[in-house]
Amino acid sequence: MATELETPPDPGQVADWELELQKVGIARRMFMARKWYGTDWWFVAISSVMVVAFLVLAAFPQVFAEYDPLEQVGPRLLAPGERPEQEILVVPIEGPISAIADFEVGVRTPVAVAIDTPSSEAARDEAERITDEIAASGGEGRIRLRIQRFETVPEALEAVVAGEAVAAVISSKAYDAVADDFPMLTNSGAVSSAEQDATSFPLGTNQVGQDVLSRLIWGARIAIFIGFSASIASFVIGVPLGLLAGFVGGKTDRAMTLVMDSIYAFPGLILAIAITAVLGPSIFNIIVAIAVLYIPTYYRIVRGQTLQAKEELYVEAARSLGAKSKVILGRYIFPNVIPSVAVIFSVNVADAILTGAGLSFLGLGLPLDIPDWGIDLARGQEFIRSAWWLITFPGLAVMLIVLAFTMMGEGLVEIFNPKLRER
Amino acid sequence: MHPLLTVFLIFGIPAGLALGWVFLRGSESLRRYILTRIAHTVPMVLIQISIVFFVLRVMPGDVVSSTLGPKASDAARENIMEALGLDDPLIVQYFKFLGDVVTFDLGDSFIGARRPITDELGERLPATLELIIPAAIVALGTGLLFGTYAAIRRKRTADYSLRLYSVIVYSMPIFWLGLLLRLVFSVWLDWTPIAGRIDVVTNTTLERTTNLLLVDSIITGNWAAMRSVLHHMILPAMTLGLVLSGVFIRLTRINVIETLQEDYVISARARGIRERVVTYSYALKNAMIPVVTVIGLQVAILLAGAVLTETVFNWPGMGRYLIERISSRDFQAVQSTVAVFALFVAMISLAVDVIYSVLDPRVKY
Amino acid sequence: MRRTRLSWRIIALLGALALVAAACGGDDSGDDTTTTTAAPAATTTTAAPSDTTTTTEAMMDDRTIIIGTTDTVSSLDSADAYATADWELIKAFNEPLLRFQPGSNSVLEPGIASLPVASDDGLSWEVTLRDGLVFGDGLELTVEMAVAQLNRLMDTDLQASAPNQVGNTLAIPYVESIEAVGDDTIRFNLLGPAGFFPQILAGAPYTIAHPDYFALDEMNLLPTAPIYGLGPWTITEITAAEQTVLEPNPFYTGSYPARVDRIIVQRFANPSAMADAVREGEIDVAWRILGAEAADDLKSVDGLTVETIPQAPIRYLIVNHADGFVTADPLVRQALAAAIDRDELSDVVFGGAVTPLLSPVPPGFLGANEAFEDAYQAPNLDLAVQLLTDAGYSESNKLQLDLGYPPEHYGVTTADGVLLVAQQWEATGLIEVNAIAQEWSTYVSNCTNGDTYPVCVLGWFFDFPDAENYLQPFIEGDGLGTMVLCPNDSCGEGVTATGIDPLLGQLLLDQRAETDLDKRAELIGQLQDVYADEVVTIPLWLEPEFIIYRDGIVGDSSLPNPQTLNIGPDFEFIYSVLDITG
Repeated sequence: MATELETPPDPGQVADWELELQKVGIARRMFMARKWYGTDWWFVAISSVMVVAFLVLAAFPQVFAEYDPLEQVGPRLLAPGERPEQEILVVPIEGPISAIADFEVGVRTPVAVAIDTPSSEAARDEAERITDEIAASGGEGRIRLRIQRFETVPEALEAVVAGEAVAAVISSKAYDAVADDFPMLTNSGAVSSAEQDATSFPLGTNQVGQDVLSRLIWGARIAIFIGFSASIASFVIGVPLGLLAGFVGGKTDRAMTLVMDSIYAFPGLILAIAITAVLGPSIFNIIVAIAVLYIPTYYRIVRGQTLQAKEELYVEAARSLGAKSKVILGRYIFPNVIPSVAVIFSVNVADAILTGAGLSFLGLGLPLDIPDWGIDLARGQEFIRSAWWLITFPGLAVMLIVLAFTMMGEGLVEIFNPKLRER
Repeated sequence: MHPLLTVFLIFGIPAGLALGWVFLRGSESLRRYILTRIAHTVPMVLIQISIVFFVLRVMPGDVVSSTLGPKASDAARENIMEALGLDDPLIVQYFKFLGDVVTFDLGDSFIGARRPITDELGERLPATLELIIPAAIVALGTGLLFGTYAAIRRKRTADYSLRLYSVIVYSMPIFWLGLLLRLVFSVWLDWTPIAGRIDVVTNTTLERTTNLLLVDSIITGNWAAMRSVLHHMILPAMTLGLVLSGVFIRLTRINVIETLQEDYVISARARGIRERVVTYSYALKNAMIPVVTVIGLQVAILLAGAVLTETVFNWPGMGRYLIERISSRDFQAVQSTVAVFALFVAMISLAVDVIYSVLDPRVKY
Repeated sequence: MRRTRLSWRIIALLGALALVAAACGGDDSGDDTTTTTAAPAATTTTAAPSDTTTTTEAMMDDRTIIIGTTDTVSSLDSADAYATADWELIKAFNEPLLRFQPGSNSVLEPGIASLPVASDDGLSWEVTLRDGLVFGDGLELTVEMAVAQLNRLMDTDLQASAPNQVGNTLAIPYVESIEAVGDDTIRFNLLGPAGFFPQILAGAPYTIAHPDYFALDEMNLLPTAPIYGLGPWTITEITAAEQTVLEPNPFYTGSYPARVDRIIVQRFANPSAMADAVREGEIDVAWRILGAEAADDLKSVDGLTVETIPQAPIRYLIVNHADGFVTADPLVRQALAAAIDRDELSDVVFGGAVTPLLSPVPPGFLGANEAFEDAYQAPNLDLAVQLLTDAGYSESNKLQLDLGYPPEHYGVTTADGVLLVAQQWEATGLIEVNAIAQEWSTYVSNCTNGDTYPVCVLGWFFDFPDAENYLQPFIEGDGLGTMVLCPNDSCGEGVTATGIDPLLGQLLLDQRAETDLDKRAELIGQLQDVYADEVVTIPLWLEPEFIIYRDGIVGDSSLPNPQTLNIGPDFEFIYSVLDITG
C-alpha cells in the first residue's frame, strides 16, 4: 500500500470557485458551500427544512389540523383510513317497531348493543335527533333509551329475542354474519335517518375518539414550545454564569463549578422526575425541570471557552488599554462563545423534547387536557396489539423532530469545529 | 444482600486493587492527584444527595395521607409522623439523614409493608445492574467498532450512513423503541418473553445470593435458570444498548478523527510508515483512551435510560422503584435510592478518572 | 498493534457468545403451562425453605397454578390489612370465623366458627369455634388465644401504629368488647344493633392470626415465610414485590381444602405485561387489575376464557355541601346531577365496558333502586339549564366550578371520564369548569377534607357486601372511616355532616336496626331517594373487573359462578376451588 504524501496547496493557486465565493452574496455562498462541505451541507440543509416545517406546524396548528384535538370526532380506535360501519336497527319481525322514531316517548326503552362498538352512540344520537324534531314541531317529551350492553353481538340479539330489549343496534356487517341464527329478527334499516357521516381519518382515532393527526399537529406546538422554552431558560441562566465563573475565577468559580458538576453528573431524567413530582403536572413545571437539567451543559462549555479566551492576547491588550470587564466580556469573549453555544442549543432543544416526552410517558408531565405526544404514547401502550397506530405515529413524530434538531446540530458541529476540518 | 455491598463487591474489589497498585507503584504526584480526585468526589455526592433531600421535603403532598389513606384519624397521623421522624425540624432531619448515609443505614420504607429499604434495594440494584451492564456492552461494542470505522472512512458513504444511523437511533425515544421491539419480537415473532427477568416457575428453583440472577444461576449450576435469564435479558439490553450506541458512535468518531489529525500521526505518516500501521498502532491506540473515558462517564445517561427501559419491560430495577416511590411520597425510599445512584455514578467516574490519569501520558499531575 | 486487534476479537467473541446464548435460550419461549412444567422437586409444607439446588431437569408432575396480579402485598397482619390483595392472601392461609360461599355474596357459611346467634336485644352475637382447629405448624387453637388475637382489632394503640388500621373501621365502630364464653364460644358485644354484623365476621380481619408471629402488642406486616394459619394453604415463600408461593396446609379441617399442589401468585408491574403473560401462557390466571381494553383483546385468543365480574368498584363525585362553595346551593347540585350523561361516559371513555350507576347502592344489593334516574332522567339539559337559571346563573354570569381529579391513581380512563363530565357540564352553556389535576397523595386529603374542592372524583369499594357500607360512609360524620365532608372539622361524633338533610341520618339508623328484610329494603329505597334529592354524592359508574384463565383451569362446578372461577359479586377469590383438568 503506497503512501500518499499530501501535497499542501500552493498558496499562489487558489481555486476559481473560491475567488468567486468572495463576490457573491450570502445566499449564493451558502448554496455553493455545498461543494466545500459536501454531505454535511445536505445534513444541515435537510434538517433545516424539517425544522422550519415543524416550526410552521407549531405556529399555526389551527391551519393544518382539521379537528379539535380534544374533541371526540369519530368512533374510538378507528384505523387509519378506515370508514366507520353503518349501524342498523334490528327488530323482531312483525313487531310494531321499525325505527327509533317509533319508540314510546317518555319511557326508557331498552336497546341492546355490543360493547366496543359505536352502536350505542349511534342509537343515542338518533334518539336525541328525534327528540329535537319533536320539540321543534311543538311536541313534548323525550325519546330515552336504556342501553343494555353485551359482550358480543349474538348476546345482544338474544336479548331482543328474549324480549329483554325492544331492539338491537349493531353494525350491518356484524348482523350479516349472524343473521341466519336469528330468523325471528330482521334488519329494519339504518339507525339514523339522517345522512350517514362516514368520514375516515388519515391516521385513525384514539381510544376516546380524538383524531390522531390533529393531536399530532397540536402536539408539535407543545413539544416545540417546551423544547425551546427550556433551552432558552437554560441558556439565559447557564451562559452568564459560565462567563462569570470563567472570568472571575477563584472561590466563586470553584463553588459554582462544584454545584454544576454535581447536577451534571446526575442522571438527568431522575432529577427531572424528582422536580416534576415536587412541582406537579403543568407545562411550566416541566419546562423548569428540563431547564435545570441543561444549565450545567451551557455553563461548562461557556466557562471553558471563557477561560481560554481570557488568556488571549487581544483580551490582555484590551485590558491594558483600560477596558472595563463588562466590555471585555461582552465584546471580546462572548462572540467567541456563540458558535459552540449555537450547536449546543439545537442539540439541547432535541434533548429537551425527548426528556419532555419521557416525563409525559412516565405520567409525570402534563395534565390530560393538553394534547401531547408523550401522553399519547403512554396511553397507546395498552392498545399495542389492537391499535398499533396509537403509538407508531406519535413516536415517529418525536423521532423526526428530535432528528431534525440533532442533525442540524451535528452538521453545524462538522462545519464549525476547526479540528474536524480536513487539513 | 445489602445493595451497597453488591456494588462494592463488583466494582470495589477491582477498583481497590487498582488503587492499591497505583498507590504502591505510582509516583508521589500521582497519589496526590488521586487523593484530590477523591476529595473532589465527596462534596459532589454530598451536594447531590442534599439537593434531593430538600427537593423531596419541599414537595407538597402528604406522605401521611398517602400512607394511611383518607380515612386516617388524627391520633394515627401523629403516630405515623412520630414514627417516621417527620415531626423534627427540617435541619435535624437533614443531619440525621446524613448520619444514616454515612453508616449505610438506609432506613425503612414508609409505604405499605415498611420493608427495610436495604432489602428492597438489595433486590433492585442487581436487577438494574443486570440491565445496564449488557446494555453498556452492546453500546460500547457497536460504538467503538462503528465509530472507529466511520472515522477511518471519513467523508465516504460508510461514514455518512453510520452518522445517519447514529443520529436516527439516538433520536428515538427509548420507550418507543422498546415498545416496538417488544411488539415485533415478543408479540409477533414470539422469539423473546414478554416481561420480567426470569421465567415464573424457574424462578422458584433459583437460589438467590447476590440477586444477580445470571451470577446466581452460574454459581448454583442452574443452567435452565441461566438460559431463562439470558433470554429475558436480550430485548431490554438491546433497546437500551441500541439507543446509546448512537451516542457512543458519535463520541468515538469525533475523538478518533481528532486523534487522526494530531501532529504525531501526520508526522508518522510523513515519515513513511504504512497507513495501516499508523492508523492502528499510533492513532487508535491513543484514541481509545479518551474515548473509553468519555464513554465511562456516560453512566448517568445509562441510568437515565434504564429508568425508561425498566418501565417498558416490567424490569424490577431501581429506576422503576424510584418512580413508584416518588408517586407515593416515600421520602426514605427515594432518598436512599438516589443516594445509592449518586454513589454508584461517583464511584465509576472516579475509577474511570484514575485509570485515565494512569494510562494517558498527556495528563499532568 | 497486537493489543488493539485482540480487543476487536474480544468484542466479536462476546457478541458471538451473546448470540449463542440467545439461541439456546430459545427453548424457553412459550412453555410452562401447568401440565408440562419443568418444575423442580416440590417443597414440603412443614419443612424449611426448599432446597433448590437439586436438578432442574427433573420433570415432576407438579400441579401448579400460577396467578398473575398487579397488586402488591402490603400487609398480611389481619389486624391491619385493608386491601383486597392482602385480604385474598389472608383468606388463603387463614380462615375467618365465618365465610361466604365461594361464588356468592349472600350465602354465609361457618368458617372456623359456627353461624352466629344473636341475643334477643341484638346487642351481642355469639359464635362457637369448631373442634380440632390446628395451625399449619401444629399449634392448637384455644378460645382464649382466639379472643386475645381478635382483641388486637380493638386495641387503639396497636391500630394507631399501623398503616391501614382496619380495626378502626370494621371493629371499633360496631363492637364494644370481645370475650370468651366457656371453652369454645366467642361473644361480641356491640355498641348498637346491627343486622349485617355476621357479614363483617366473614372478613379477613376476623381471622385468628398465629400468636407466635403476630404478637399482641406489635403489628407484623410482612412476616417472613413460612406463614402458618388455620386456612387451607400455607405461604411457603414470599417476596413482597414479586412472588408468593402457597402450598396445601395438611392440618386444615374446613370445607374447602386445596385441590392442587402449589399456587404461585406472581406480581406484574403493569396490566399490559400481565395481559401479555397470560396470552403467552406464562401464567395461568390473570386477576386484578386488568382494564376493559386488555380484557377485550384477550377474548379473541384461543385457549383463554375471559369473564366479567359484575359487582365492582364504583366511581362517584364527592359534592361539597359546605357554605362558601357554589355547590352549597341545592339547585346547583341538582343541575350538576341532571347534566351528566353516563351513557356517553361509558361509551366514549370505556367503549361501553362500564355500567352507569344510578344510585349510591349498586344493583344487586338489598334495597338498591335507581334513585338518580328517577329524580333527574339524566342527561336532562333542559332541567339543568332550568335549575341553573333559577339559581341565578346566565350566559353572562356563568357558574364557575372547580373539578378536582387524580390523573393516574384510578387509571387514565377515570381521568378521561372526568374531563368528559366537565365537557358535559359546559354543554349547558351556563357552567365553566376548571379541571384541576392533582397528584394522589395531595389530592386525597384535599378531596375529603371539605376545604378545597366543590366537586372531586373518588372511588369506593365495599368493606363488607351490604348497602350499609355504601351509605353510612357518606352520611355519618363521625370522622372515622367516613368519606363525608367535614369542612374545618365541623363534624362531631355521630352527627351528620354539615348541610345534609338530617332525615338521611335517621333513615340510616332505622334501616340498620331493622331486621325484617322487606321493611329494610323499603327503608333503604327511601334513603336513596332522599339521597338523590339532596345529591349527597353523584354516582357515576361501576367498573367491571375481569378474570382471565387458560383452558384446563376450572373452579368448582358445584358452587355458584364456576365460569368466573367462583368469584362472586363480593370479589373473593378463593384459591381452594381451583383445579386443573386435562
